[in-house]
Amino acid sequence: MKTWFVPYMKKHWRGFVLSVSCSIAALICAAGLLFTSGYLISKAALRPENILMIYVPIVGVRAFGIFRAVFQYAGRLASHDTILRILSEMRIRLYRLLEPSALFIQSRYRSGDILGILSDDIEHLQDIYLRTVLPGVSALVIYAIWIGLIGDLDAGFAFLMGLYLLMLLVVFPVLSLLLAGRAEQRLSEGRHLLYEKLTDAVLGAGDWMMSGREKTFLVQHEEREEAVRAIERRLHRASRWRDFLSQLIIGACVLSLIYWSGGNAIHGQMDRTLIAAFVLVIFTIAESLIPVSEAVEKLPQYQKVFQRLRGIEGSPASEDQDRRFDALPETAERLGGASDMFPEKISEKVEIRAEHLFFKYAAREDWAVRDVSLHIRQGEKVALIGRSGAGKSTLIHLIYGALVPERGSVTLNGTPPDTFGNRITERISVLSQNPHLFDTSVLNNLALGNEQASEAEIIRAATLVGLHERIKRLPHGYWTQMHEAGDIFSGGERERLALARILLRNAPVVILDEPTVGLDPITEKDLLRTIFDTLEEKTLIWITHHLIGANEMDRMVFLENGTIEMQGRHEQLLQTNERYRRLYRLDVPEKLKRPLQLAGK
Amino acid sequence: MCSEKEFQKAGIWSIEIGKDVKPVRTGGETVLSGRIMDRDIFSYKGGRLLFAITGLLTVAEGICIIIQAALLAGMVTKLFFGEPPAAIGHQAIGFFAALAGRYGSVLAIRQLSSRFAERAGSDLRKAFLSTVFALGPRAIKEEGTGNLVTLALDGVVRIRQYLERLIPKMAANGILPLMILGYVFFQDRVSALILFVTIPVLIVFMILLGLAAQKQMDKRWSAYRILSNHFIDSLRGLPTLRYLGLSKMHEATIARVSDRYRSMTMRTLRLAFLSSFALDFFTMLSIAFVAVFLGLRLVDGRMALEPALTILILAPEYFSPVRELGQDYHATLDGKEAAQKMRAFISGKKKDDLAGPAAAGEWTADSVLTLDRVSVRYEKDEKHDALENISFNVRGFEKIGVIGPSGAGKSTLVDLIGGFVEQTSGIIAVNGRPVSLSSAGWRKQMTYIPQHPYLFSASLKENIAFYAPEATDRQIMSAAEAAGLSALVRRLPRGLDEKIGGGGRALSGGQEQRVALARAFLCHRPILLLDEPTAHLDIETEYELKETMIRLFRGKLVIMATHRLHWMEQMDRLAVIQDGRLAETGTLEELLHQHGAFRALVRSQLEGVR
Repeated sequence: MKTWFVPYMKKHWRGFVLSVSCSIAALICAAGLLFTSGYLISKAALRPENILMIYVPIVGVRAFGIFRAVFQYAGRLASHDTILRILSEMRIRLYRLLEPSALFIQSRYRSGDILGILSDDIEHLQDIYLRTVLPGVSALVIYAIWIGLIGDLDAGFAFLMGLYLLMLLVVFPVLSLLLAGRAEQRLSEGRHLLYEKLTDAVLGAGDWMMSGREKTFLVQHEEREEAVRAIERRLHRASRWRDFLSQLIIGACVLSLIYWSGGNAIHGQMDRTLIAAFVLVIFTIAESLIPVSEAVEKLPQYQKVFQRLRGIEGSPASEDQDRRFDALPETAERLGGASDMFPEKISEKVEIRAEHLFFKYAAREDWAVRDVSLHIRQGEKVALIGRSGAGKSTLIHLIYGALVPERGSVTLNGTPPDTFGNRITERISVLSQNPHLFDTSVLNNLALGNEQASEAEIIRAATLVGLHERIKRLPHGYWTQMHEAGDIFSGGERERLALARILLRNAPVVILDEPTVGLDPITEKDLLRTIFDTLEEKTLIWITHHLIGANEMDRMVFLENGTIEMQGRHEQLLQTNERYRRLYRLDVPEKLKRPLQLAGK
Repeated sequence: MCSEKEFQKAGIWSIEIGKDVKPVRTGGETVLSGRIMDRDIFSYKGGRLLFAITGLLTVAEGICIIIQAALLAGMVTKLFFGEPPAAIGHQAIGFFAALAGRYGSVLAIRQLSSRFAERAGSDLRKAFLSTVFALGPRAIKEEGTGNLVTLALDGVVRIRQYLERLIPKMAANGILPLMILGYVFFQDRVSALILFVTIPVLIVFMILLGLAAQKQMDKRWSAYRILSNHFIDSLRGLPTLRYLGLSKMHEATIARVSDRYRSMTMRTLRLAFLSSFALDFFTMLSIAFVAVFLGLRLVDGRMALEPALTILILAPEYFSPVRELGQDYHATLDGKEAAQKMRAFISGKKKDDLAGPAAAGEWTADSVLTLDRVSVRYEKDEKHDALENISFNVRGFEKIGVIGPSGAGKSTLVDLIGGFVEQTSGIIAVNGRPVSLSSAGWRKQMTYIPQHPYLFSASLKENIAFYAPEATDRQIMSAAEAAGLSALVRRLPRGLDEKIGGGGRALSGGQEQRVALARAFLCHRPILLLDEPTAHLDIETEYELKETMIRLFRGKLVIMATHRLHWMEQMDRLAVIQDGRLAETGTLEELLHQHGAFRALVRSQLEGVR
């Protein structure tokens, strides 16, 4: 609340004051319309000799009628403009918070689509302003004006009226808030449970069906729904009764106002033409207070949003990552602009040297990487193999500089990679498992690899990865929007697009982070062929899960429990290592290979 | 009302709260009445009855409104002409009673329609979920898990809101203005005329403005779409941006795009809000005109104060149903859309539960499954059969390998045998008797292990015992041992009770596969169906898992779709699928010596990368 709400209120106070004043002015006009028309009619009923006597109220009635609409319109525009500005700032802020831990977001927030939720959260925050703050403040001001006005005439009655309306302005809202606040916890837990269980069941629908127990689940689900519904029902019923009681209070207000103004008129303390005016206006005033309860009711819901956003802010990793990257000569890069980002580096040779590396993620955990020494010369091709959790990704992150070793050292040409900051990308490119294709044209997606690249260079890269023909056949060729292309790009083709980016980037080292997982063997082989062909001169560090393409590698490195278990050239391991032979046979079974080779001759 | 933020994952809904801001729907705020009102409402159980009751209650409400206005005007008039406040006691009581009656009716209407909406919503949800669970994984994947879940949870909430508001709004708009207009007409024709004329003028203006806004939006639609998706697209692509060294600079892009999005939205809103401006403007002006004309005639003495006041009080009431119609317009439209989607899903995918006779008895060593010229065609692909004219026998506890290039139809064949897909033509028989494989009786004989077995968000124990919930701890433990999970169980702090799956400890791909194997070991079903169970695992894990799986295969009918060549040696027979047809069948030896599809497939896999 403090960090995601107050600062924006402060910064944009002008917009808020403008929109609040407009909506108050609109309310005043609505009230003014009824007030003057009541006065007009009463005055007219006195049958003044001169029509000019009622000329002023006639003009007033029309003016109020017109200005009410104008103010309303202006107010809505002002409030939306302000809120959109705020949203825009919040988006940047959220992005800034998430950016440092970009590579770890998925693994840190395992549960579902955290990014989608956060982005929705930001949108959700606009409600605080539009539906809670604005109506609340307007109601408060209207209340003050009205009571002040009456108080000017009769302090005692103003006090009574103040009490009535206080019911609408304070008592009901507070009761609603208490009720909603108490229910909110159980309600959101209930909804969360519903969501979780249903997603779980739908994802595992095959198993439910096979086990023949799907009816059981449906019954359980209805029970859970009912539990949530029961709470909601109670809340809704309460709010319906609250609205009903509010109307009765307004009725009471009207009656006491009639008696008061009637009494005043008789005693000559008030012009009798004002009776109708006051009676008519109280409806508008009172009704503008009713929304307060609804506005306040929503507060507990925002609480959750604030919590989640605070959670992102407070996550320790994002802080220390922040520090590390911010300490870097980033500003120079920014000031220098994009123009001098790419040259000079292209032909650089990079020598990677890791000496007795140790790393663990948390103090109490085991070493994720333990005493790994590795020396990779420019142009060498190294495959990393190991079970999940063997330390392959950690090792890669250490080489990339996204993690810093606890002991030992890793250097690129003698410099620790984490000191490069973002400039590491000029030395090392990464082809990951799920490269993201952005919602823009195919051309732009490719150009992300190097924004300085000419169209000819981009087309050349696309040709090299074997996508040029494919792209040309799209409805608008290179200008086809990604969402139009939609699922047209298969898993293998997405990798090829990412590979083209890497070619444009032209860094001397390329890390292949299991780019072929999930592809069928033929597609996999084609993709690997393209990768090896196009990245001929680069250093390759390839995380892989089986041995296809092993003979293309200069070195096979097996990791187990964070340490190097065996390494060597494919042929050499095949001859000397029984375990390696056994594994190789899974990929290339003798029984199949032999008859084929015989037949081939 | 409720903000199911937690539910908004897949986001088929534009977020309701952003409704004014989200450009998607802003324009048409007013081309509304026709689109909100539809006849679907009567197809829900109790819809007609509710409509009738609501109609009666609305008439009662209208009567109360008129009485209330008349009494209020009467009281003011009396006081105006100098009577003491004590003289209006009866009228005051009457006024309060009418007020209570009016809002009592409203309360009753809301109560009733809410109950109706709740029942209708939950009926729809039950039907929807039953359909989901009758259709199975393939259909779910097609629709998207997120979409289905959102529809079942969020969608129903919206449908409820829509139904809850629809009938009262229809009744209020149909009845109240007419009653008030009628009353005013008998009091004063001029005022009635002003009020009467306003509505068509109002509607024409709002439609024109709404259309203009819509047109402007359509024109910018594609730009809008990109701008509004840009932020989430950026967040999702953060790792990629980071690897490309663009993530820091991208912040500026976000600022720029956000700003363009804002100014574009504002341009549209300026137009879109004009329709509510028109609403305000014309109603207020109409009231002002009524007041002025009343005043002028009062001056002339052609009008008395009491009826004039009554009319003035009634004038805002006359417009209030129309004004409320526009409120929650977007929520209403969302609800209607959700209802249509759910109904379409239910009716579009409904299959006869009783299609074909039930499956034959227990699968034994002598059983025979026959596929006779079976074809499968998916709805969305009308040109090609996914499987075409497959004829094939499976006997006893054979081990069958289904191989072929990706997309050839291997998975469809597995899904067909698993009963997740039904044939469009051809006959499937067990022991000579035609059967439906989607029957519960057939499914109960089968264990299905996909490439990524799903682990429920529950304890390891519950996950293993999913197919056999009545199993004892001992049985579960020995199944876990058989599947090679005992080392894992020992390492877990809470052993078998450790929570795994979505909300719990993450398991590796190999461990997930072992949990699935443990399930299979535990429930002793005679048919084992596997769809590419090891291709994604690292080679060492694959090697170890293979040993375990071979043990599981004993005494079972095994049907396995796979690319991995090493499995071929374990299979009794291989079926090669190409372009949806059965290209070859036979033992490994036979196929190796035929110069056919199998050889070509193996060769292309075995030749080197370069």
